[in-house]
Amino acid sequence: MALLDAQTLARLAGVRLRARAVMEGVLSGQHKSPHQGQSVEFAEHKEYAPGDELRHMDWKAYGKFDRYYVKRFEHETNLRAALVVDASASMDYRSGALSKLEVASTLAGALAYLLVRQQDAVGVTLLADGGAREIPARASAGHLNVVLDALEQVKPGGTADLLVAADRVAESLRGRALVCVFSDLFDTREGALERILSLRHRRNDVAVFQIVDPTELDFPFDDPTRFLSMEDTRFIEANPRELRESYLESFHAFLESTRRSCAEAGADYERVRTDEPLDQVLLRFLARRQRRRG
Amino acid sequence: MSFANSWALWGCLAALLPILIHLFDRRRARPLPFAAITFVLQSQRRTASRLRLKRILLYTLRTLVFLCVPLALARPSCTPESAAAAQTRGPAATAIVLDTSLSMRTRADGTPIFEAAIEEARRALADLRPEEPATLVTCGGQEALPGPPDFDRAGMRTRLDGLEEAGYLHADLNRCLDAAARALEESPLPGRRLVVISDFAAHGLRLEAPPPVVSDGEGGHIQPEVVLRPVGSDPAPGNAAVTRVQVAPATQAGPGTFELTATVRNASPEALSDTELSLQIDGHVVAKAFLDVPAGGTVNKALVHRFEQTGVVSGALALSADALPEDDAHPFVLRVPEPVRVLVINGAPAAQRFADELFFLEPALTTQGGPVRATFRDSFAGLSEQLGEVDVVVLANVAAPDAGTVETLRTFVEGGGGLWITMGDQVDPEAYNAAFGSLLPRNLRDVRTAAERGDQDAEARAGRLTQLDREHPLLRPFVGRAAEGLETARFYRYMLFEGGVEGSRVLAAFQDGAPALVVGRRGEGRVALYASTVDRDWADLALSTAFLPLVQRLSAYLGGDLDTREAPSVQVGERLTLAVPEGQRVGTVEGPMADVPVRATEEARVEVGPLTVPGLYGVKDGDGQALPALSFSAFLGSEESDLRRVPLEDLQRWFGEEKVTTSGLDTPAREVPVWTWLLVIAALALFGEGLLLRR
Repeated sequence: MALLDAQTLARLAGVRLRARAVMEGVLSGQHKSPHQGQSVEFAEHKEYAPGDELRHMDWKAYGKFDRYYVKRFEHETNLRAALVVDASASMDYRSGALSKLEVASTLAGALAYLLVRQQDAVGVTLLADGGAREIPARASAGHLNVVLDALEQVKPGGTADLLVAADRVAESLRGRALVCVFSDLFDTREGALERILSLRHRRNDVAVFQIVDPTELDFPFDDPTRFLSMEDTRFIEANPRELRESYLESFHAFLESTRRSCAEAGADYERVRTDEPLDQVLLRFLARRQRRRG
Repeated sequence: MSFANSWALWGCLAALLPILIHLFDRRRARPLPFAAITFVLQSQRRTASRLRLKRILLYTLRTLVFLCVPLALARPSCTPESAAAAQTRGPAATAIVLDTSLSMRTRADGTPIFEAAIEEARRALADLRPEEPATLVTCGGQEALPGPPDFDRAGMRTRLDGLEEAGYLHADLNRCLDAAARALEESPLPGRRLVVISDFAAHGLRLEAPPPVVSDGEGGHIQPEVVLRPVGSDPAPGNAAVTRVQVAPATQAGPGTFELTATVRNASPEALSDTELSLQIDGHVVAKAFLDVPAGGTVNKALVHRFEQTGVVSGALALSADALPEDDAHPFVLRVPEPVRVLVINGAPAAQRFADELFFLEPALTTQGGPVRATFRDSFAGLSEQLGEVDVVVLANVAAPDAGTVETLRTFVEGGGGLWITMGDQVDPEAYNAAFGSLLPRNLRDVRTAAERGDQDAEARAGRLTQLDREHPLLRPFVGRAAEGLETARFYRYMLFEGGVEGSRVLAAFQDGAPALVVGRRGEGRVALYASTVDRDWADLALSTAFLPLVQRLSAYLGGDLDTREAPSVQVGERLTLAVPEGQRVGTVEGPMADVPVRATEEARVEVGPLTVPGLYGVKDGDGQALPALSFSAFLGSEESDLRRVPLEDLQRWFGEEKVTTSGLDTPAREVPVWTWLLVIAALALFGEGLLLRR
């Protein structure tokens, strides 16, 4: 399965199957990538220091550089990943086969697969109804099922409080961690995104997956429409043709602002359309991380 | 402001459509849960004022479109200040004078201008103020006096609806205007107005006559306000017409042959060239000619046609159609006679063929295609023949018959038969004078011998025909070389006749003055005396080229075939008196469009008409049986064929310039149409709406 488009994924029932399919697509894609020799397990070289295990000495490097280097592996970094999934009511929106929440869950599940496969600890924070449900990070294979079950069973509703989510994650993380946020980021409260990005200051890697629906990007409505808020009681009757230009201007400004904030904070930013192949999204994300490390 | 199609104003309700559509759209707005509603709300707040303004503009423009289009269809027009000022003079009793004469049938773009005139009349009626009484005066040549102005608008509209087409008569517009002015005198209103709808053709107006005036009831006169509503194009189109058709027998060209002469008048300012003239019989073109007619000129063109069938024939001489097609065809009815039945009685038969009295006459009367059907008898058989089936009896050198035979001949002649007596050695003058008595146009006196055949100077002394009466239809063709045969014939011996008898006419005489051919009427018939023989005994006329046509035409003349055979023809608008043959009774006269009134005037005569439609008219008896012999045609007068118009400036001067306003199709309208502006506004509104929608 080279490309996992939204239609194909939608036919797979449940997050578990979809996440696994995406994960396999990612592994298959990595196999074909130009970074083939760089196993996810091999992370970096380190100059030998007393106390290092001699079995990890890289004798070939010694032959080349006349210095002692030892190989270091990822699992030795004890990476902890926190996957923050927005399950607010606005994430239930869909115009195609998958809702934004289904896309977010699938991406989070696939990432969990990959991380657990390389023995990293994975935890999940689900944001819904103004609160947060946490599943602490663990690296065991059995924990993967817990994570996937949580993603499977989450019901969209209410609002997502990114401020609370940032605080919870900050409290739960000890040491360096990877924080992945899957959200449409429609929490417009002052400083919500900044609070998430502030995790970066504590030597955490932060990745933001902004999930958007194609109709949010294009606003392709023509007929007079009563737009209803999915999180509260707001509504508006409007002729979409009259608003399209202004809407697109506002929405794309919001996306650009988010991207710029992430870039300024040194966080990874991925804009994910709900109709694009998700394995490609993850491949793109992993490739970018590889480049940053190299 | 007035509207030509006021029904279209209902379409203005369409102006409500934009609002209704807006309300309908609001009602059916589709609910849609939308995650990014925050941005929709932001956009709405940001663009609300601009959108409201745009929406108001859009509704305004759409309402304008839906308002202007039906308004334009209603064809509104407004009265400019000058005309409005005229209206503010106060209400005026109005006479609408509508020209319905023949020239109003002129086509403009294929449509009679009369249709435009009817529209103008309706418009004039619509322009009247409610307090203005009106009367309609049609001017077509045969109208009754108009009634006084009243407020029966519906009745006037009904009259206008009933006027489907113009008439065929000449109209005197002066007389109609005077009649209309007199009708206005009946109104108590001080204001009087004449609305004149016409092509203002010059033939219908006499500007040297005084203009119409209305009596003020105190011995004085006032000039009414005049509104001119001209119709038709200015200048008027050229027109040519067949104004007259003459039909004459042309037996020299064969039996049943007629010469039909059309008089064509060109009333155009430009000459006509190669204009087609066709002879139409029973709707089929049987002959054509092409003629050139100078501008304003008249030419005659003759077409000769041989009719294969005898009896009543109807047809027309027609030009190719022009602006006024009605006057391009001139109908006629003629009667093609049967061949003349001639009984030739041979008074001097001979066993030897060349010595027979009829050696030359018989072949001359039996030529194939000749107008004569002759039978030949000797004296014994011929004089006892029944004459009921005979048109002409020829006594060729027959000895004087007995009294009974002469009486039979007298009855025959007075009943319309023809009798031709030729001389010879069997003719005894005294016996003839005694036997025929007054039946002869001249008494016979004696035989004169001018020369003896065989004498040396016989050629010089022989008698010759020197005096020919070419005015008579019998000898009319014998001109030029055709007359040589008569003029060179030598007469060695001929009968001298007594002095003139009333009613006899000498058609040819010898150089000594002695009559050679004398004809006279007896009762309904004719008698001819030929002073010589029809063989070579006394003259050699039988050898000349003139002999055959002479004897054939003489037979036709005596049989009545050279008489005018054209049936009665009458100008449209007049009455015709028909002579009804004994034993017949006229029941109905069927015209081209309807039956025509018939009135018995005196015994055996009926008056038909007035005839209002040109064309062919058939007559039936009381039992509905056709009487073709009484068929006749009606033709148009030529006055209306000249379509040239009186210049409007002359008309204004004639009526009094301060009293005249002009309106109509071809002149600046008194009412200014505004529907074009409405269409422009609608188009601009559509354009603006498109621009707004693009933004």
